[in-house]
Amino acid sequence: MAIDPAKQLERNARLMELLARTALSDQRAFAELYRLTSSHLYGAALRILRDSAAAEEVLQESFVNVWHHANSYVSGKSQPLTWLTRIVRNRCLDQLRRKDVDTVAIDDEEESVTIADEGPSPLEMLVAGADARAVKACVEGLEAAQKQAIALAFYQGLSHSELAAHLKEPLGTVKSWIRRGLERLKACLDGVGLAR
Amino acid sequence: MNLERADALAAEYVLGTLRGRARSRFERMARTDRRLDAALRDWEERLLPLAEAAPEVAPPPRVWVAILARIGGAAAAAAARPSFRQSLGLWRALAVAGFAAAFILMVVLVRPAVERPEQTIVVLLAGPDAKPALVASADLNGRYLTVKAVTPVELAADRALELWALPEGGNPRSLGLVSAAGVARVALPAPAGAALARIPTLAVSLEPKGGSPTGLPTGPVLYTGAVQRLY
Repeated sequence: MAIDPAKQLERNARLMELLARTALSDQRAFAELYRLTSSHLYGAALRILRDSAAAEEVLQESFVNVWHHANSYVSGKSQPLTWLTRIVRNRCLDQLRRKDVDTVAIDDEEESVTIADEGPSPLEMLVAGADARAVKACVEGLEAAQKQAIALAFYQGLSHSELAAHLKEPLGTVKSWIRRGLERLKACLDGVGLAR
Repeated sequence: MNLERADALAAEYVLGTLRGRARSRFERMARTDRRLDAALRDWEERLLPLAEAAPEVAPPPRVWVAILARIGGAAAAAAARPSFRQSLGLWRALAVAGFAAAFILMVVLVRPAVERPEQTIVVLLAGPDAKPALVASADLNGRYLTVKAVTPVELAADRALELWALPEGGNPRSLGLVSAAGVARVALPAPAGAALARIPTLAVSLEPKGGSPTGLPTGPVLYTGAVQRLY
């Protein structure tokens, strides 16, 4: 799953150009942008929402939003795909938020969480993603439990309480895995100089 | 809020574990607090690229059609040149269209040829499963489209199906309502050949009873189909 850095640069440049042209209401550029990124974004949304109708809706809303607000993309500030991913992920998490309106209320619930088991597991994705970004050492530096909790939260959109139910651990334990894992990840990533 | 706390919240916001009211509160604060916003951006750059490792899944074509309908245009032809996997559905639809075309041609040829052969426009409207749900057809010089529901569509009493022409580079234009079962005749503003001249695609959306109140599709796009000219 390692991504060739040269290809990555080339792709980023292309996506930046397409976003810039989309901001000028160029529909062909917008169509090309959709063609190049929609499978990636839809795949990510599907993982989090586990509901194809909801994922389709998020994708639709996100791209309508991109069409109207492509001019708010600032190329120096973030990578184009990161910018698009943010839009889609935030909409997904908003959808989940609507489902569990009050997270405090479900904190005590012992609900079981079913997770799609087709394709790579969240843990495998985390390792593959880290590998591609040359930050493998940082992900591998995490404790197994931290890695697992972070991967499930990030790729499957599990909340603290869902993680606790899924991993059969007390809520406090799971929260501290996440917190410590993120701290460690940050220290390591900032140390190696994250590819930007 | 101290820096450490701000950073921890930003991290959980991007990871996705910050939920509910805490999430909206954080969003609001990050809009005005530059420190918080910076922490947020840094975490996005750290974590979001990892999302690329999720397997790609091609979204169904109707998503793009719905996006086009909502932004009020159709770069449809140039649009999303389908990948191989995506195009399977399309090929299936085209295969069905091919049979339909062959069948119609057969009917045309078997008929006693008193005049020149009939010139027909056919559109097979299919959903994401590529199974045709509606067939629209018109004579080149006819002033109406005949739309037949191949399989009856289940429809709530307060909903209607609306047929749209999706021109290249322009807003979708309503052609009228079609019925969920049986046959409907949709009047065209000009002879079919001219009315559909620059229309590569038709689409059917789900609308409130009586049709879209805005003049553009408001509900989900259920079926789409390429305009086939049998001449």
